[in-house]
Amino acid sequence: MVKGYICVLPLLLISCQLGASPPAPLDAAAHAALGTALAREGKYDPAIQQYKAAIHLNSHLPAIYLNLGLAYFKSKRFPDAAAAFEEAVRADEGNFQARTLLGMSYYGCARYALAAKNLKTASDRQPENEELRYTLAQSYLWSEQYPEAIAEFRFLLTRNPDSAPAHVLLGEVLDASNQVEAATAEFEAAARAPSVPPETHFGLGYLYWKQQRLSDAGREFEAELANQPQHALALTYLGDAEMRTDRQKAADVHLRRALALDQNIWLAQLDLGILLAAGGDSEQATRHFRDAIRIDPAKPDAHYRLGRLLNSQGREREAQEEFEAVKKLAAEEPQAPLLRVTGRPRQ
Amino acid sequence: MNFSHKCMGPALAAGMAVAWTIASGQNASAPIHFTYAPIGFRLDSCESLRRHAPETMAGGVALFDYNGDGYLDVFFANGADIPSLKKNSPKYSNRLFENDGKGHFTDVTAKAGLAGTGFDNGVGVGDYDNDGREDIFVAGLHGNHLFHNDGGTFSDVTVKAGLAAPDPQYGPLWSVGAAWVDVNNDGLLDLFVVNYMAWDPDTEPKCEASPGKLDYCHPKFYKPTPNQLFLNNGDGTFRDVSAESGIRAHPGKGMGIALADFDLDGLMDFFVPNDKMTNFLFRNKGGLRFEEIAFKAGVALGEDGRFISGMGVDSRDLDNDGLPDITLAALDGETFPLFRNIGKGGFDDITRSSGLAKLTMPMAGYSPTIADFDNDGWKDIFVTRGHVQALATAAKVEIDQPNTVFHNLGGARFQALTAEAGLTAQPPARHRGSAVGDLNGDGRLDVVTTALSAAAEVWLNDSAGRSHWLELKLEGTVSNRDSIGARIKVTAGGTVQYDHVSFAAGYASSSAAPVHFGLGPAESASLIEIRWPSGILQELKNVAADQLIRVKEPARK
Repeated sequence: MVKGYICVLPLLLISCQLGASPPAPLDAAAHAALGTALAREGKYDPAIQQYKAAIHLNSHLPAIYLNLGLAYFKSKRFPDAAAAFEEAVRADEGNFQARTLLGMSYYGCARYALAAKNLKTASDRQPENEELRYTLAQSYLWSEQYPEAIAEFRFLLTRNPDSAPAHVLLGEVLDASNQVEAATAEFEAAARAPSVPPETHFGLGYLYWKQQRLSDAGREFEAELANQPQHALALTYLGDAEMRTDRQKAADVHLRRALALDQNIWLAQLDLGILLAAGGDSEQATRHFRDAIRIDPAKPDAHYRLGRLLNSQGREREAQEEFEAVKKLAAEEPQAPLLRVTGRPRQ
Repeated sequence: MNFSHKCMGPALAAGMAVAWTIASGQNASAPIHFTYAPIGFRLDSCESLRRHAPETMAGGVALFDYNGDGYLDVFFANGADIPSLKKNSPKYSNRLFENDGKGHFTDVTAKAGLAGTGFDNGVGVGDYDNDGREDIFVAGLHGNHLFHNDGGTFSDVTVKAGLAAPDPQYGPLWSVGAAWVDVNNDGLLDLFVVNYMAWDPDTEPKCEASPGKLDYCHPKFYKPTPNQLFLNNGDGTFRDVSAESGIRAHPGKGMGIALADFDLDGLMDFFVPNDKMTNFLFRNKGGLRFEEIAFKAGVALGEDGRFISGMGVDSRDLDNDGLPDITLAALDGETFPLFRNIGKGGFDDITRSSGLAKLTMPMAGYSPTIADFDNDGWKDIFVTRGHVQALATAAKVEIDQPNTVFHNLGGARFQALTAEAGLTAQPPARHRGSAVGDLNGDGRLDVVTTALSAAAEVWLNDSAGRSHWLELKLEGTVSNRDSIGARIKVTAGGTVQYDHVSFAAGYASSSAAPVHFGLGPAESASLIEIRWPSGILQELKNVAADQLIRVKEPARK
């Protein structure tokens, strides 16, 4: 994907290396050539210094920004790489390589909308470049351009129908755009692939869980745990699914295992509190509800549960504090679909 | 949907008579099944691309016997021009359809004098003067009307009754529904008015669903308003006791009311769902005092403690334990909560364990009504469905939806029946109000529903099975004549079930029908026990099934 350095000038022999006389100042071309030589040896920082020196003397050297950007890119300094590639593209709008690398650099520094914009321009030039389009598809996904992401992933899957990662990512996009059933179908396809990526069963289980398909969800969480027994979230969601299907003992075991691995899983603390409250262990339930609140005080659930538990114990003043927290939080939290989420009053 | 900018929808010809036909008889597969029948009413709320909030909230309907002929007639509340709030076209007329009991509905609106004048939203039926004729209170946007039944014709007595004055603090209110209930057991029906939120067409916000396209704003952009309680003075007038009763201290965005004696202390309590606020449970403490206890009782919110778009509500005993439970409708992604009454003023949220969480997650609903539609002895839930929004701006959000009946599998576990129940015989719509009663005397409960900018629907119950039934029409003598608040326990075939008299129904609606019990295979009820609001207990023994019986309250011993 990332090609080699572009040699625009022959590598010069540098006089100081000969030890004859005091070194003469290098010109721009010499700095550029030295930079390329250093970059080829993987010495990116000194290469960058040489490219900068060259630019200082002559910013119009052919490909100088491209090579500078590439040095930054190789050393994973993506914001600097993007700035250099922007200059390269400005000098040569039609430079496919610069455009591609610009998009890749923006992707590298998580500026996905800019990545998508530049990678789309590049992919229009090379529509068969699947690697490029894969990064473009992911750029669309992470910049929440879901219809475009769906189209790209679907294109990639026409070329490689068994690509489990592509199915998973398409599933992510579909889930993010509220198409849960279609997302589930993609994860199911990924789970059937010859090589199943890590987290696929967990993702599929989560989608089933969202749809209240709790026995299916439990099966997938168990499949993930067969590969990753210490997967704390899989244990948590498995426990949650079991709790919701009246398998309290199994839920208790899995939730405790999850918390043994990670005390800071909100759902595990909440669910264990619910189980303990239902079993009459108010003291331990209270502790877990308070832990859930500690982990995420902005979620009303644990406040409400704790308030009800305290109320049932006659601790009305403490209960009222929790209820007041619920009222405040519930009023502030993002709301239901459509304008009940996205209403923008134009006053 | 392709709406023009101003009000739309054809006005249907007045006086239209509609006959229904049960084409295919009973359905053999689904336990509950309905056949669609038309009725000549189209709800017109003046929908426009401006998306005034009231446009999406219209649609109350009532079933009641307006002329005492023994058949349930149908009243529809209708909208008006916005912003004038005047019924300046026949298409906005409220409508009263007389049922001849033989499958014909005739529009008698003009004769009855019920066309109305303003933007009407909900309806509450009750015989407030105990003269044996059902009166109706029409709840509206910035104006309510009390119509006294003079014997088949109605007089607007709003001003005389003292119900016309705007609120001194909040100004004209937006009333969406009302219920008649005797709060102090003095034998007179009092009036609870459900108020939604403050609305002013001049200052109403505009909310964009996408650039340039408006949709109905989230309720958070409007201020809450208090509900009202009016005490019946017994002389045709009412006294506003909202403040002294404690009701007024709780402004909300009320969308419905369920009446029941939740704690079985002999006094009627109120549950009021609010739209994106905590629900209210007003416990009647006696002495005209109410305490709001929703948090303590566990019904303020769904089990996860999040606000939901509380819509219409109903309260009946769904698990036959003698305690009235509560269910309400909400929007997609929120589920339709079900609160099981566990006694002593407490409730458990059983939305998940009942199966309703999974079933209702993708649904948006307005009007739940609890009734035994297959006469198996377990009450089911019929929910009118449809979104509050007008535009589908997110994937998988359905604006127009079919209605659904949730079949009670016993003990408050449910299965959803939509197409299976015949409810896709009509196109999906934004359904709103609903009322339940046996319209054709076949012992099966039918449903009338409304939908925004669409024809109303009559759903005739043609469920298979030969289960028996019993209907009780109670007449109070010491208690209010409608017997609202009376609790009934029926023992039949070794099973026991309970219900109580309440005409409040779902969203903005009223079902002034006899109390209906499905008896399953039992051919008689061995014992019927009635606890009247007066406290008088009455027993009936060995009552044959498959009949409507009229029961008069005995004198106090």
